Amino acid sequence: MPPMNTKRDGAPSQDTPSSFALPVVTDRPAAKSDVVGEALEHAAAQASSSEPGYGQTYWRSLEEKLGAPEYLEQTRPEFPVGADLAPTGFARREFMQLLGASMALAGATACSTRPVDERILPYTKTPPELVPGNPLHYASGMTLAGHTSGLLITAREGRPVKIEGNPDHPVNQGAAGVWEQAFLLSLYDPSRARVLRQGKSPRALRALREELGSRANKASAADGGSRVRFLSEPGNSPFTGDLRNRILKKLPNARFHSYTAQTHDSQAEASRALFGGQAVSAVYDFSQADIVLSLDADFLESRPENLGYARQFANRRDPNSGPLNRLYVAEARFSITGGMADHRLRVKSQDVLAVAAAVAQAVGGPAASLAGAAANKASLKSDHGAWIQAVVADLRAARPGRTLVVAGERQPAAVHALAHAINAALGNTGTTVKYVQASIPEQDGLSQVRALVEDITAGRVDTLVITSWNPVFSVPADTGLKELLDPATNPNRGNLTVLYTGLFEDETSQYADWFVPAAHPLETWSDGRSFDGTVAIAQPLIQPLYNGVPESELLAMFLDEPYRPAYQMLRDYWQGQAEGQGDFEARWESWVSDGAIPGTQAPAAQGSPDFGAAASLVTGFTPPASGELEVNFVYDYKVFDGRFGNNSWLQELPDPITKMTWDNAALLSPETAKRLGLEPGDLAELNYGGRKLTVPVWITPGHADDTVTMSLGYGRDGLHEQVAKAVGFNANAVRTLKAPWFDGGATLTKVRGSYKFSLTQTHWRMENRPLALDMPLSELKNPSPATEHTLHRVKGELKFGIQDNLPAFDYSKGPSNPQGYKWGMAIDLSRCTGCSACVVACQAENNIPVVGKQQVSVSREMNWLRIDRYFEGSESDPRMVMQPVMCVHCEKAPCEYVCPVNATVHSDEGLNDMVYNRCVGTRYCSNNCPYKVRRFNYLHYTADKTATEKMLMNPDVTVRNRGVMEKCTYCVQRIERVRIDARVEKRVINEKELKTACQQTCPTQAITFGSLNDPQQRVTQLHEDERAYKLLHELGTRPRTAHLIRVRNPNPALEPAAPAAANQGSH
Amino acid sequence: MSRLSAAALLAVPAIGIGGLMAYVRSPYVTGQQRPVEQPIEFDHRHHAGDEQIDCRYCHWSVEEAPSAGIPSTTVCMSCHAQVWNKSPYLTEVRKAFFSDMPIPWIRVHNLPDFVYFNHSIHVAKGVGCATCHGRVDQMAAVEQVAPLTMAWCLDCHRNPEPHLRPTEFITSMTWTPPEDKAKAAELGRQLAEAYDVHSRESCSTCHR
Repeated sequence: MPPMNTKRDGAPSQDTPSSFALPVVTDRPAAKSDVVGEALEHAAAQASSSEPGYGQTYWRSLEEKLGAPEYLEQTRPEFPVGADLAPTGFARREFMQLLGASMALAGATACSTRPVDERILPYTKTPPELVPGNPLHYASGMTLAGHTSGLLITAREGRPVKIEGNPDHPVNQGAAGVWEQAFLLSLYDPSRARVLRQGKSPRALRALREELGSRANKASAADGGSRVRFLSEPGNSPFTGDLRNRILKKLPNARFHSYTAQTHDSQAEASRALFGGQAVSAVYDFSQADIVLSLDADFLESRPENLGYARQFANRRDPNSGPLNRLYVAEARFSITGGMADHRLRVKSQDVLAVAAAVAQAVGGPAASLAGAAANKASLKSDHGAWIQAVVADLRAARPGRTLVVAGERQPAAVHALAHAINAALGNTGTTVKYVQASIPEQDGLSQVRALVEDITAGRVDTLVITSWNPVFSVPADTGLKELLDPATNPNRGNLTVLYTGLFEDETSQYADWFVPAAHPLETWSDGRSFDGTVAIAQPLIQPLYNGVPESELLAMFLDEPYRPAYQMLRDYWQGQAEGQGDFEARWESWVSDGAIPGTQAPAAQGSPDFGAAASLVTGFTPPASGELEVNFVYDYKVFDGRFGNNSWLQELPDPITKMTWDNAALLSPETAKRLGLEPGDLAELNYGGRKLTVPVWITPGHADDTVTMSLGYGRDGLHEQVAKAVGFNANAVRTLKAPWFDGGATLTKVRGSYKFSLTQTHWRMENRPLALDMPLSELKNPSPATEHTLHRVKGELKFGIQDNLPAFDYSKGPSNPQGYKWGMAIDLSRCTGCSACVVACQAENNIPVVGKQQVSVSREMNWLRIDRYFEGSESDPRMVMQPVMCVHCEKAPCEYVCPVNATVHSDEGLNDMVYNRCVGTRYCSNNCPYKVRRFNYLHYTADKTATEKMLMNPDVTVRNRGVMEKCTYCVQRIERVRIDARVEKRVINEKELKTACQQTCPTQAITFGSLNDPQQRVTQLHEDERAYKLLHELGTRPRTAHLIRVRNPNPALEPAAPAAANQGSH
Repeated sequence: MSRLSAAALLAVPAIGIGGLMAYVRSPYVTGQQRPVEQPIEFDHRHHAGDEQIDCRYCHWSVEEAPSAGIPSTTVCMSCHAQVWNKSPYLTEVRKAFFSDMPIPWIRVHNLPDFVYFNHSIHVAKGVGCATCHGRVDQMAAVEQVAPLTMAWCLDCHRNPEPHLRPTEFITSMTWTPPEDKAKAAELGRQLAEAYDVHSRESCSTCHR
């Protein structure tokens, strides 16, 4: 480590005139009897940055790791530069407006102190199931890129306010990822489209119905609709599939093309080859897999279809529930799954094939012959040999059928075929891998767009109906779709009528002849299969807010049928399906209320994989160009392919790995950046395949060398998507159909200018304290001296007078706490993947505002729950630890002693209560909080909410005003609601009925909440676990949240000599 | 003289501050003793008084929800479709019912937005309607009786026993505790035990 600046913070430098010098705390001899002074001394000594550390070095950013002077300068003051600046720009104007408005109001009400009368509007007829003031929960679903997940949606007096996973759905099991939850925000988005239009003129729905009806009749009579094309999302909905079939009956020559930006093309291609053309998908069982090898597969991120996998995987990372599994990951960019790996191999994406081939070669069987075919397509880098050898040895040593190899969807079909072959050779087929009939029968992906483009170019299309999300934006630049749809570039555009339906007026809608505002999926009835085949019925929660038209009703306009609403059509379809199976009414009721139709899991695929047939996939594979930089495209962890671009919750959510908000960047490894002379925030010109794009650069430790990764979905310029507009840059501009996910031959050259990112992880400084801990299981069992030192520090006895200075409070049963609740939380770092689902859950539950990029850059982000991402080890190839941190509800809370107005006080059950109406905004509490979990409303962030947006607010939580401090409350509104129910029924709160929002949604069950006075509760058991430790324990704050040390399960063959590992980087 | 001016110097701010504190607690600020005129001349004296209709007939969610609820127009019409169905007093009710538009009642008891009060728990623990809302059966137009200040809430939360009544009289407008102070105290103690009353005083009980 380079020499650190050992001068104490706040100490005056030598040349400061002594009259201006502040007293130097550490230079003052402490009086013998001064316990507080001694404690301060002690804390200061513990926190000293020159401290030898505690076995391993953790760091959060490269600047910190390298001790860059600018970084130290920036993070030295207690508050970041600008944190207490007066509001500027728009915010200031807004403030003045507000001031004006409040003055006017004050004038109007000066003669009376009584506020203006508030009205209460009762129902004319209260719906029978509704009790005003109590929430209702409805099972529903959300379809994203060909997968429908089961949701449970909370509604308050008819307006949905929170989305959770449906506990009865086999994939969700109560969990929901970031997209499912943030989906709710888009329902109320004021920039949603509301006008049905032809060209620029508004049209009635009837006009559209007549137009489409006559068009369909004409086409049907002329040539069976051979000039009609549909471009839609993948058809995983049985009901929409039926509609398609009925349209095809009327227009037998029309064609449906399925396209969504995140596709399973190569997976599907591989399984089609293996199963003789059958549409088959592989379903994995991570609960049985002892050794997992991921070939660029990010199976732990919070995409809806991964939630079940994440749960299974996490259960195998808990040392109390059996032996740990071991995860190997070979990938280019640091992904969420890569962060969970025991051993991660940084490879270029194009080298994954070589890795797969080498593993296949070694395991033998059918895999070896495929590997032989792959031999001349890719050559293994020499320095990867040892890693692969160790992986293979591990795979072969495991019991047959207890391993699993997963290939990522960005990899070509050849890699998928190899993965299947390796699984077969290791006996995994039928145990950890099951082949079932695919939930999407047809082909989907870019090949379909290509076919469509060819047809339009050849003039074979006169009607194009687009229900797929924004293809003009989401396809690669060389597809040519945009050029064909744009009258300026296509002289024959007049012969083509384009109808587009979407939630927003976006890039595609500007070229549409007819634009139909779509009904939000929470506004209409639909259904859909999850990847394992389970059908969920998605019921609406609200009438269409903006006159949206359901997709099913739009498609039905092509049929000669009298109008039926979506509900009727869906019900009729399922009634037809359930013909002759008894009382349909009762079954339908239970399907809708449970959310999932039982017995709809996909049947097993016919036959067994034929690896001979897959050889052509490998031999026919053209390896991408090598040389120069390899450019990688990934869809984004936050905005997906861009369809969540207008969702401010997701834009402000820090990226799980880079912790970047409101942006994307060209990600590089430290070495590559150094070689190219690029610094984070530099602008560079990416030159690939003859296309150029100016991008800002960010450096990610652990990224593969000579590779640049860009996430899709940014740089939107849709007509009315105000949030998404001009955020980040559009990586599709250099993407090609030939290589949609990665390709070699790109160059990156520095250009003039720089770019400012807003990252959350570099806020505040960790001062070398042991915060997020991880260690091999063996180390935990037999700690080395260094580990012992660390464990002592985070778990040791607190000495009276040194750390333990504040009076203790007895939280056992007392007169006002007869049930003896003692609320506490446990966060298992072994389970936490960092997927950020909890952050969005917290935001939705607690009415947390979004502040925007500029405010984030001055550390004013408002998320109560943050996930700290720590790196550990070398900067080129570090390991990663995720640590969710929210208010830990210290029993001896430093914030409480400094509040001059008692706005933050303790409850008798150990909650650190925050009383907004008492808070006067001194910010002393935040100043004194060692965990930095308090958030201050510098501006009136909720001031400009429209009436529709206000419908989103959780009525159980105060919407905070400007000048008020706020922080995690352990979801006290949930505690109080459950408490009142339990008290009315004269019983104690059951562990199962009370879950905080973050706990409820966590796909891996990393967060546990409950009463620590009940030894039966899981949270109590976790608090007593040997892995449990308290964050900043040495300060004597006695947090109620315990973190559990993350355990790793390294392969001894890949570890450097054991003692060195424990001591690395300690000095 | 100087003694007088010193006294005045001390007294003026003391009286000023004291006056202000008294002022914010006065009915003028808390909104007590101000009968609220409603869009429809609904008379609780008739419904709750003469007809002895139980409070819960209209405010039916009081036992299961945070809010006691304002009855839906259907509840009005359940009787007034039969009785007084031609009365000009009820024109607005019928209009609201048939046009499916809510009647814009004016709120009488209005807590600040940062206070979360729950009716169901109070009713379950033996706090009667009249305890906070007063003799609604004697009000032509409902007015706020209690100050609804935090001090008033805490007075009861710190010593709930004198304010409890048997739950079978929860909606009674006329129930009074026994005259005898000792008996009344004894009853309060018994009820508190029987209903498992443990009123909470932590901030987050009401502020979230």
